[in-house]
Amino acid sequence: MKIGVFVCHCGSNIAGTVDVVQVAEAAKSMPEVAFAKDTMYACSEPGQQGIIDAIKEMGLDGAVVASCTPRMHGSTFMRTVARAGLNPYMFEMANIREHVSWIGKDKVANTRKAIDLVRMAVAKLAQNKPLYSQSFSINKRVMIIGGGVAGIQAALDCADGGLQVVLVEKTTTIGGKMAKLDKTFPTVDCSSCILGPRMVDVAQHPNITLHASAEVDEVFGYVGNYQVEVRKKATYVNWKTCTGCGACMEKCPSKKSKDPFNELIGTTTAINIPFPQAIPKRASIDRDSCIKFKTGKCGICAKVCPTKAIDYDQQDEMITEEVGAIIAATGFDLMDWHVYGQYGAGRYPDVITSLQYERMLSASGPTGGHIKRPSDKKEPKTIVFIQCVGSRDKSVGRPYCTGFCCMYTAKQAILTKDHIPDSESYVFYMDIRAPGKMYDEFTRRAMEEYGAKYIRGRVSMVYPQDGKMIVRGVDTLAGAQVEVEADLVVLAVGAEGAAGSAQLAEKLRISYDSYGFFMEGHPKLKPVETNTAGVYLAGCAQGPKDIPSSVAQGSAAAAKVLSLFSKDQLQSDPQVSKVDLKRCVGCMKCAITCPFGAIKETEVRGEIKAQVIETICQGCGICTSTCRQGAIQLQNFTDNQILAEVNALLSSETEEA
Amino acid sequence: MSLQDELKAQIVKRLPELDVVIGWGQGYDSLHRTPLFITSEADVDKLVFDPLCVHNLSTYLTRYGSAKRIGVVVKGCDSRSVVELLQEKLIHRDKVMVFGLPCEGVADLGKVKRALAAKDLDMGRVRAASFADGDLVVTVSGQEIRLPMAEVQADKCGRCRYHNAVIHDEFAGQPITEAAPDTYADVAAFEEQTLEERMEFWREQMERCVRCYACRNACPLCVCRDYCIGQSREPNWVSQRDGLEEKFFFQMIHATHLAGRCTECGECERACPVDIPLLLLKRKLGKEILELFDYRAGTDPDAKPPLLNFKVQEDTINERGW
Amino acid sequence: MDKELRIVGFLCNWCSYGGADTAGVGRFVQPTDLRIIRMPCSGRIDPLFVLKTLIGGADGVLVSGCHPRDCHYAEGNYYARRRLEVLKRFLPIIGIDPGRFEYTWVSASEGQRWQHVVTSFTNQIHALGPVQRIGRQSLAKACSLGTVLEPLA
Ligand SMILES: Cc1cc2nc3c(=O)[nH]c(=O)nc-3n(C[C@H](O)[C@H](O)[C@H](O)COP(=O)(O)OP(=O)(O)OC[C@H]3O[C@@H](n4cnc5c(N)ncnc54)[C@H](O)[C@@H]3O)c2cc1C
Ligand code: SF4
Ligand code: SF4
Ligand code: SF4
Ligand code: SF4
Repeated sequence: MKIGVFVCHCGSNIAGTVDVVQVAEAAKSMPEVAFAKDTMYACSEPGQQGIIDAIKEMGLDGAVVASCTPRMHGSTFMRTVARAGLNPYMFEMANIREHVSWIGKDKVANTRKAIDLVRMAVAKLAQNKPLYSQSFSINKRVMIIGGGVAGIQAALDCADGGLQVVLVEKTTTIGGKMAKLDKTFPTVDCSSCILGPRMVDVAQHPNITLHASAEVDEVFGYVGNYQVEVRKKATYVNWKTCTGCGACMEKCPSKKSKDPFNELIGTTTAINIPFPQAIPKRASIDRDSCIKFKTGKCGICAKVCPTKAIDYDQQDEMITEEVGAIIAATGFDLMDWHVYGQYGAGRYPDVITSLQYERMLSASGPTGGHIKRPSDKKEPKTIVFIQCVGSRDKSVGRPYCTGFCCMYTAKQAILTKDHIPDSESYVFYMDIRAPGKMYDEFTRRAMEEYGAKYIRGRVSMVYPQDGKMIVRGVDTLAGAQVEVEADLVVLAVGAEGAAGSAQLAEKLRISYDSYGFFMEGHPKLKPVETNTAGVYLAGCAQGPKDIPSSVAQGSAAAAKVLSLFSKDQLQSDPQVSKVDLKRCVGCMKCAITCPFGAIKETEVRGEIKAQVIETICQGCGICTSTCRQGAIQLQNFTDNQILAEVNALLSSETEEA
Repeated sequence: MSLQDELKAQIVKRLPELDVVIGWGQGYDSLHRTPLFITSEADVDKLVFDPLCVHNLSTYLTRYGSAKRIGVVVKGCDSRSVVELLQEKLIHRDKVMVFGLPCEGVADLGKVKRALAAKDLDMGRVRAASFADGDLVVTVSGQEIRLPMAEVQADKCGRCRYHNAVIHDEFAGQPITEAAPDTYADVAAFEEQTLEERMEFWREQMERCVRCYACRNACPLCVCRDYCIGQSREPNWVSQRDGLEEKFFFQMIHATHLAGRCTECGECERACPVDIPLLLLKRKLGKEILELFDYRAGTDPDAKPPLLNFKVQEDTINERGW
Repeated sequence: MDKELRIVGFLCNWCSYGGADTAGVGRFVQPTDLRIIRMPCSGRIDPLFVLKTLIGGADGVLVSGCHPRDCHYAEGNYYARRRLEVLKRFLPIIGIDPGRFEYTWVSASEGQRWQHVVTSFTNQIHALGPVQRIGRQSLAKACSLGTVLEPLA
């Protein structure tokens, strides 16, 4: 083999503390090395050309570049090598910048270390083999899980881009949290007026198939070719014939059912359509409060339904959707605010959540848009907002900032003044976080124009006294204890990943944090990708964010899918595991440890053998270190390649004593 | 009926269902037994079972193609290898028939040899051997010598928890009820030495290794045979150089490859022609795995072995704090 | 510091190798003894690599991967943790100081932590001193017989 070694100065970044000329000189006497040279900037255009020329002129079979980290320029140089006509895997990198020149000042020691790293890279390269990717076709349909504003945006963008879209929503209507909001900051425009038309677009778009009241059961396959099993949960109403006329709701005698859409501040009928603009506008029965289900008698809805859509025997239905990519946009839920016993959360009816308050403000909400305190239905005059309930609070295990509470609290203070002009609002806050266009102006307006009284400090407790809620806290700016006699207390409860997101993440094989938020591929550079190819993220599912950011991420995820689907074929990564059939004894231990289910059993001449599905294999090599007889080898990180590095290093002398 | 006759009857009864039954027969002298491959009723008569039946016959189970139905005679310790092979899907339950036995302990011929040598007698000259009242009675150079079994018994038998076959289709004789606790006292005693002494000990031991691979070939769980990474080029873990490091490293391969699988049957050590105490290495692993994962290999064919398993939060492994 | 010792690191590509890069970018000065081998995942690290390296004469081996729960491949470090813990507990029986081998978790953002890990591990190895090579006797014997030595591998 003829190996070329190129040692980069990186200006003075490397050459300042490593004798690069000496490194190149030392490389010349390493086994298989036919050419070695230092170069000013290996990654620059002339630098790359120099590598290409040397490969061509000297007829090299492979190249080692000693420069920065392969995490930075590994792929750059693989392309360079390919441009010179070699297989891109006939290339290795020695990291003599981040791991050498930048972390040590002793030039002699650094140079010795750089030579060792080059020796190891050369030894490994001598074991490298050309690797080739496989192409496979893509199913150009996309599934979007979660029909909040982020999912809706992604669905519409993908559908407008000509893709077939399958939208899966857990509840009986799309819209997510935004559908529950009254008005939105910073423009204070009506939430349903801007969201409603987009929801209708989803319903009417010829490219979108909507499965509401549905959840993902299992996911098989890989990028380009996923099979997703969707469970359509029984609604006991045939949605094909239901027209959403609402006759059933009018007649249903069970009027005290829980109303999750209204955040449980009102009640609804056992058969119901959550709100007038619901999409799909279809009724469904809540089994737990339906008299027919509880006692066997009633059946009024079946009698009044003009299209005979009621079906008490309906069962969950399983369907399989085949798609090439998946966007997870499952949003958020409020954390369990009952942990705040000191605020009387859940105990005192007049301590409510911000989302409940939104429903109270909404003209289509249970109070018809009139603010009434739950205990006695009276109009409150003094309202206290407490921010950071379950945000930035390590004592309840929530160190992070939910990000949008400062803004919506200001919004709610403004709306409160609009609804009840003689009311007074107090806001307990830690810091006001209002970065964003027109955001800081907005919170200032709440204080300056609407007279909301902002008190910087935490509330220590809330308790009832003579029909009032006493809110006791500190004003850290004034350095004094404060007590406010409130009629109503609104808690800005922090957000966490939607219920069930951890289970969904397991099915999708994507990572999630301990708060149920999905992990992006890279915190800066891959904000909507995940580490599973073909699975993307949008909206609050990835972390709390407001509507504009959720929409932007929805569009970004759609753009990623559109660009993925812009090709007809995908290339598989050839850095996958390969089974040596002779050596394999079919014990399938590799399949037990493979985290991706990439190994299946096959039969070769009557004997069981392992087989790697190359499109699923992610190249971790866990199987390789599981198989005792080395029958399954991760390409480009085979035992022999790693042993070559170990041996090269151990055979070189350390510093002379 | 004696235990041996009961076993013979069982084999005769089941032989028609099987291609072969592996048992023990008379070896080249009165002290040695050898594997016996029974394919006909006539062969059954050659079957022997006594404390000289040291071989773990389950080693042979993986040497037949998957089409054959094989019977195997096992002592308590041997039966754990069968369980382990089943658990690892290296053999299949419907292809093996297990003739289980109770076992009070087998002799360690090394100890017999040393005991005789202490009396200036040569084990090679033993002409007859039998068992009476817990003694091994041998006739050597015209004398009758009684060696108490307690003195010449294999170490593993003194700490055996599984005297009866833990898996069987047929069981001959009466199960033994008592079981000894195994406190890994041998490992602890060895580790009283300093690290340097231990290293020196192994240097001396491994120096003698002739790389015959008898240890590996005797191990019922080393099923890779021709594809053992101790000898292969792809992957090439050990060079052909006949140095101490290569010999030592081969034993590291064998030990780590048996981690969480080794049933401590001791065949590796018994097979070693130069008497390297290989079982100690495996027992050390067995001890650590027992402590970490509360797991004993070869006791439950349905268990998930600890090294193919994990807990997100391990109870016994501290997160590396530094 | 005294004479450099032979310390080998096996690092997963996604977290710890990245953490070592981050340490470099931050110019966090470290001892120069360590040589890093990049692995895709800590789950790829066969304990035999560590044994091979130690028996082959390295004075110390450091393995580092993603923190538990953060593995790029979801589960690799969980398997690694069990394998490596068993290995660490095995070493004393063959007379190798378990302090010559450590495994730890460093994320791609923890440059400072990486500096700390490398520095303390290097100090730990220097405190233990250079290793007595297992093969030294046979080497000596071979020399006395006048055999030409192949490179040790
Ligand atoms: C009180 C309050 C007021 C707010 N006011 C404003 C404001 O004025 N302006 C602003 O910009 N932002 C505001 N926000 C933030 C805003 O609600 C979010 O930015 C937005 O809702 C995020 O949209 P999303 O689609 O990511 O998530 P969501 O709105 O949570 O939607 C997620 C959807 O996914 C569905 N889903 C969940 N799990 C699954 C599953 N497993 N399978 C299928 N479907 C699933 C849910 O049912 C839901 O329909 C406010 C938030 C709160 C709490
Ligand atoms: S590749 Fe190895 S681990 Fe997988 S089935 Fe074959 S022998 Fe078993
Ligand atoms: S390399 Fe990883 S993903 Fe690929 S088959 Fe092996 S264990 Fe599975
Ligand atoms: S390693 Fe030795 S003791 Fe363990 S199962 Fe194999 S032969 Fe028996
Ligand atoms: S030592 Fe390992 S590779 Fe060799 S035969 Fe035994 S299990 Fe297989």
